[in-house]
Amino acid sequence: MQLLNKFLKMITFPDLLKGLKITTKYVSKKKITEKYPEEKRSYPYRYRGRIHVTIDTCISCRLCEKACPEGCLKVFPPPREIMKTDKRPAQFYFSQEHCLHCGMCVDSCPTGSIHHSHEFEITVFNTKELLFDKEKLPYDMLKKQYKWNLVENVPTKVEVKKKEEV
Amino acid sequence: MMSYVYDLMKTPFVLALIKIVILLVVAFTVIAYITLVERRLLGFFQSRLGPNRVGPLGLIQPIADGVKLFIKEDTVPIHSNSLLFRIAPIFTFFPSLVGFGVLTFALPWITPASKMHLFALADVDLGVLLVLSLSSLGIFGLMLGGYASGSKYPYFGGLRACSQMLSYEVPLTLSIITVVMMANSFRLSDIVTAQQTHRLYFFIPLIISFVIYLICMIAETNRTPFDLPEGESEIIGFHTEYSGMRFGFYYVGEYTNVVFLSMLAPALFLGGYDIPFVNDIALWQVYPQLISILGFCSYAIKSVLFAYFYIWVRATFPRYRYDQLLKIGWLVLLPISLVNLFIVAGIKLFLLK
Ligand code: SF4
Ligand code: SF4
Repeated sequence: MQLLNKFLKMITFPDLLKGLKITTKYVSKKKITEKYPEEKRSYPYRYRGRIHVTIDTCISCRLCEKACPEGCLKVFPPPREIMKTDKRPAQFYFSQEHCLHCGMCVDSCPTGSIHHSHEFEITVFNTKELLFDKEKLPYDMLKKQYKWNLVENVPTKVEVKKKEEV
Repeated sequence: MMSYVYDLMKTPFVLALIKIVILLVVAFTVIAYITLVERRLLGFFQSRLGPNRVGPLGLIQPIADGVKLFIKEDTVPIHSNSLLFRIAPIFTFFPSLVGFGVLTFALPWITPASKMHLFALADVDLGVLLVLSLSSLGIFGLMLGGYASGSKYPYFGGLRACSQMLSYEVPLTLSIITVVMMANSFRLSDIVTAQQTHRLYFFIPLIISFVIYLICMIAETNRTPFDLPEGESEIIGFHTEYSGMRFGFYYVGEYTNVVFLSMLAPALFLGGYDIPFVNDIALWQVYPQLISILGFCSYAIKSVLFAYFYIWVRATFPRYRYDQLLKIGWLVLLPISLVNLFIVAGIKLFLLK
């Protein structure tokens, strides 16, 4: 009987068939690969993408500038007279070129104006495009996600522009 | 004018030419796309998607690959035997391409104009023998390529390839011979007709030959788990010195072999263009066109099954060591196929008179 069993095992290749069975299962299984440009997956809540700054809540305290280990933030406070009423920075530079996405600036900001976004497609053809100033800075994409962010009632960029025009 | 063209079409020579062109175009398309199908399926087996960037579903990928191979630099090493180096890739590629001519793809399509067989190019008497000799001719490509490269690594690669293919040629032949004995003919269409008239596909009585054929056809085409001659990434094979389109010829030659052997297998073991569970010949006398088209489809489906089997095996098994490979060839497959041959011969001689 044992001999017969052995013989049967020899001629039917049970181990090989088992392997074939396992691989067959994988053909119809869900694929792990993402079709990246067409289908974007959702990123974790605390994903560290490019730094975004909400200029309207910034109080020009320059804490982020001091905290940044790479020195890629540069805040220019407004003149004193204006500072009394409007603390928004006169100019704000952020250089993506050196940013480590370390999050020091985010931690140091007292108003939560500077924060990570989920934006990760940050490659460009020209390194000059990596320097962001006040106008170019990506504005406040995550304001609803950051609960400590005090921007719920802050006007959007378009509204601010309209105000300035008036 | 039209009638002249029509008359010309009826001459066997022109008809054969037309059939050759159609066959070549179809064969090249199939060969080009089996590379894509293989890569995508391998991806599926590994939970990936495979190449799907070039064109919809990656359908233009084979063309992109071809263009890439063509515009690559084509180098011939200084120490190589340049004539042999140049002709060696052709040796692997063309024999199996010639093999397509021997196959019969469907029952005759009876047209009122000509009683020519539309689905067979050259259904020669000794078709099986021709196929076998052509597949042995394919060995020369590997051997010459390795020898002519003028470097010892491809030389040994060529030797390895040669000995592997020689040792698997024997069981392959012996397993095909049993089919020939059952059908009493070397002609491929006769083998299919024998299966149709007996209403029994040969893989049931000749199950051992069938399994041996399956193993040997993988080893013959140098594919995983027997891909020692090439060893895409790890082993230095016979085509190390080749580049550009000459390497492409080896690559295409391998896939031609794959397609050819997976088209030969249904004819030998699965009843070829026979439609399963239907009495083909009786129906064919009533509706010849319909049955011949349906038969062609069933042949295609059966071939696809074998091609799928190739890819399936490739996705599943790891590569054998070289000594294991030769051991399997000479110590397992050869005795089994010899015994099988004698058993079938005995049954044929004494029981099936
Ligand atoms: S994330 Fe780090 S490197 Fe980037 S700006 Fe903030 S502190 Fe500087
Ligand atoms: S730490 Fe915050 S509030 Fe202070 S300057 Fe930087 S962004 Fe503005």
